[in-house]
Amino acid sequence: MKKKRMSIGFAAPAFVIYTMLLVIPIMMAFYFSLNKWNGFNAMQFIGIENYINVFRDARLGNAVINTLIISVVVIIFVNVLGLFLAMLVNTASVKSNIFRTIFFIPFVLSTVAISFVWKSILSYNGVLNGMLTTFGQEGLIGNWLGSHGSAIVCIIIVEIWRTLGYHMMLYLAALQTVPHELYEACTVDGGNRWNKFRHVTLPLIVPGMTVSFLMSIINELRMYDVVKIMTDGGPGYDTETIVYNIVSQGFSNSMVGYSSAISVVLFLAIGAISVFIVTKMNQKEVEM
Amino acid sequence: MKAKKRAVTILQTVFLIILAVIVLLPIYIAISNTFKVSDIILDQPLSLPIPPTIQNIVSVIKSPNTNMLEMYRNSTILMVAGTALTVIVSSMAAYYLARVKTKFSGMLRVYFLIGIMVPYVIVYMPLCILLRNLSIPFGVPVLIFVFVSGNISFATFMYTNYIHSLPIELEEAAEIDGATRFQVFWKILFPLLRPCTTTIAIFVGLGIWNDFQTPLLLGQIKTITVGIYTAVGPYSADWGVVFAYVFFAAMPVILVYLVAQKNFVNGLTAGALKG
Repeated sequence: MKKKRMSIGFAAPAFVIYTMLLVIPIMMAFYFSLNKWNGFNAMQFIGIENYINVFRDARLGNAVINTLIISVVVIIFVNVLGLFLAMLVNTASVKSNIFRTIFFIPFVLSTVAISFVWKSILSYNGVLNGMLTTFGQEGLIGNWLGSHGSAIVCIIIVEIWRTLGYHMMLYLAALQTVPHELYEACTVDGGNRWNKFRHVTLPLIVPGMTVSFLMSIINELRMYDVVKIMTDGGPGYDTETIVYNIVSQGFSNSMVGYSSAISVVLFLAIGAISVFIVTKMNQKEVEM
Repeated sequence: MKAKKRAVTILQTVFLIILAVIVLLPIYIAISNTFKVSDIILDQPLSLPIPPTIQNIVSVIKSPNTNMLEMYRNSTILMVAGTALTVIVSSMAAYYLARVKTKFSGMLRVYFLIGIMVPYVIVYMPLCILLRNLSIPFGVPVLIFVFVSGNISFATFMYTNYIHSLPIELEEAAEIDGATRFQVFWKILFPLLRPCTTTIAIFVGLGIWNDFQTPLLLGQIKTITVGIYTAVGPYSADWGVVFAYVFFAAMPVILVYLVAQKNFVNGLTAGALKG
């Protein structure tokens, strides 16, 4: 039989599009990051100066801290509550199905739509304060999105509300891989609810947990839409995130070289975190 | 013992109901207030819209700085063309990657995989400059390809794994019958990829429909999301109109989701689980 050779032509269209519009721009970003450039004038090669500035930039430092605060709270919340919810709805009943459907709705909606709805609720002249007035609780009225401290809490609440159902679904998929016999075996051995959770469920869902953690970290580190619409980074720089900072330095302030340097660092950080978590969790899986 | 168990079940249900109310409340506020006049929204945000008014919807449609039809058209073209193109080029690339076992194919596989980790913000600025220098006008056509480039990593990865799990005998049999590689792929293999294609289409399609950053930063293309953002503006507090805009953006998605719920969940979580 004459073996026909598989043509590289099958991979060519994907290769061209991917290279042209993703790989080359990334390489350009690396190159820009070594230059001082506003996008129009002549480029000036300055080596790693942009990278040195990245670590000295107080405004960026603030954005990093904001991103970390938002990320840590959201990640812990959606993973703990997501797993808990998944365990509650992990039955094949109509009731569970309805709850699953409801909890997942926010995740299919666009962040733009969601952000505007929450903005209308939390704004100073918004629905929440309107309700407080109606109930005669004027004392409780606050400028939720416009005050130091409460603005970032609002962002966190919206992010949790938006992604909780997604993480519930990830955990649900993981829970459904746990064989039922193991729970029965645990009962026979005199194990209670906690034992079942600690010694059966937890060790077996480590892969699902890795995925859920990783996705929440990646999602939160890329935070932009909700902040852009709800607070526009404000008040002051109170809710500015890393990605918001990159866009604003690059597009509003025309600091192409510098903003590229920040995004390169973010790229490397996300890559490093991903590799770290995957290897760490793989070890845990063996230990448990 | 039995009573205790029942108490726990009731407690769980109560907890789930409370949480469901919290999840649904903002959505309820948005939908019901779309059909109320703005004055009553702040006084009675939770009341049902009786009698309903379509004043907000009408003012959105008639608004001089929004062209709903154009926004829907742009978003739909981007979603349909972007998804179709992603499916076509990625499945073809995956066919090569899964069935050819050479060093080059292995390297190509890794090359395509790198894109999964990229925070997309790194690409916007260079892309703008690239398009400007090549004098390619910003617009829907080029944006289609940008969306495809951003989704190739994920789609190729999914397809490659899926093709690996399929037996190769069917393709070999077709080849013995004289089919060309091209025919084998489109007539034999591609129909078998349907479950995977559904998953990818939902993930990619919904991603494009909901994307805000890409059309905003690459030429302010008036998609639904960007159109609403520019129409409402940062300082508007005419919530009835804002809700009407949100209604236009979210309604199609909610309706499709309720009909094809299982596919949505698979589409949006499978990517993460396989990765």
